[in-house]
Amino acid sequence: MVTYRTKIEIIGDILVSAQEKTMEQDGASIMHLIRNVNISHTRLSKILSNLVSQGLLEQVNSDRAYKYRISVVGKDFLGEYKKFNKFTSDFGLTI
Amino acid sequence: MELFLEGILNLIGFIVGLIIGGFSYVGYKNTGSPVLFRLTIAFFAIGIGFGIIWSAYITNEIFFEEEKINRGIQALGLGIQTIGYFFIAFSHTIKSFFPKSRYFRSVGILPLFFLSVMNIEHIIRAFSFILLVYGAIETIVSYIEGKQKGTLAVGVGLALLAFGEFIAWYSLIFPETVLYSISIIIKISGLLSLFIPISKLPLKKIKFDDDLDQE
Repeated sequence: MVTYRTKIEIIGDILVSAQEKTMEQDGASIMHLIRNVNISHTRLSKILSNLVSQGLLEQVNSDRAYKYRISVVGKDFLGEYKKFNKFTSDFGLTI
Repeated sequence: MELFLEGILNLIGFIVGLIIGGFSYVGYKNTGSPVLFRLTIAFFAIGIGFGIIWSAYITNEIFFEEEKINRGIQALGLGIQTIGYFFIAFSHTIKSFFPKSRYFRSVGILPLFFLSVMNIEHIIRAFSFILLVYGAIETIVSYIEGKQKGTLAVGVGLALLAFGEFIAWYSLIFPETVLYSISIIIKISGLLSLFIPISKLPLKKIKFDDDLDQE
């Protein structure tokens, strides 16, 4: 059965991916996020600009392309997301 | 004895409902998740429903020194609880709970005009039972898929509430027996089981300036 991710789950996946790359490198590139999160470029761009404007991600200039790093607020949000994701899954639901 | 247990049940239901509802609300504010919004409505409704019945018992005992409460207030409290159970079941995507045909809708509403408050209370209890069974089955199916202990606790909690409701219903056939007291004890166990997962989560609130739901 095909299961669709909710918008909040996609945001969670983006933040997790960006957090991993923030620790390893300068941040996650768009290509890395497209592959890792499994989302189209158009949709990802919209969500990224939203997350940057909300202060959850930081856009940094790298050699040739933008990279995205998770901010302090983003880390806090990710912590809350994980906590409430666990809470809703305890009810057999998806956040 | 029954009155004492009834008081404990309603007080625990009131507290557990408000705590889980409050926690869901914090989650909704911090993540903007519609599922958490539905859980907020569900558990606040369950808590308020239990709270209404509990306060009616307390008021009756203190001011009127009567053991039985008004049937209308009892039906109101149970009705609000049923709304809460509905939202839990609704979160598991009930697609065709109500009949779609106009004929069935009208026939479904018609008997309400001929029923007394006592009968309405039993119908509300029956609805609660169906919704609780549905919620319990869906949650246990999720447990089988995910194998998370918290999910099992919630599934067992909903199942115990449903079983308690069933026994309470059955006690009408055999009144003046211990069945009603047993049903209350089962329901208390169900509420405590629902509280197990939330008791393991850290209760901390953080605030975000903007609403995340603007894509």
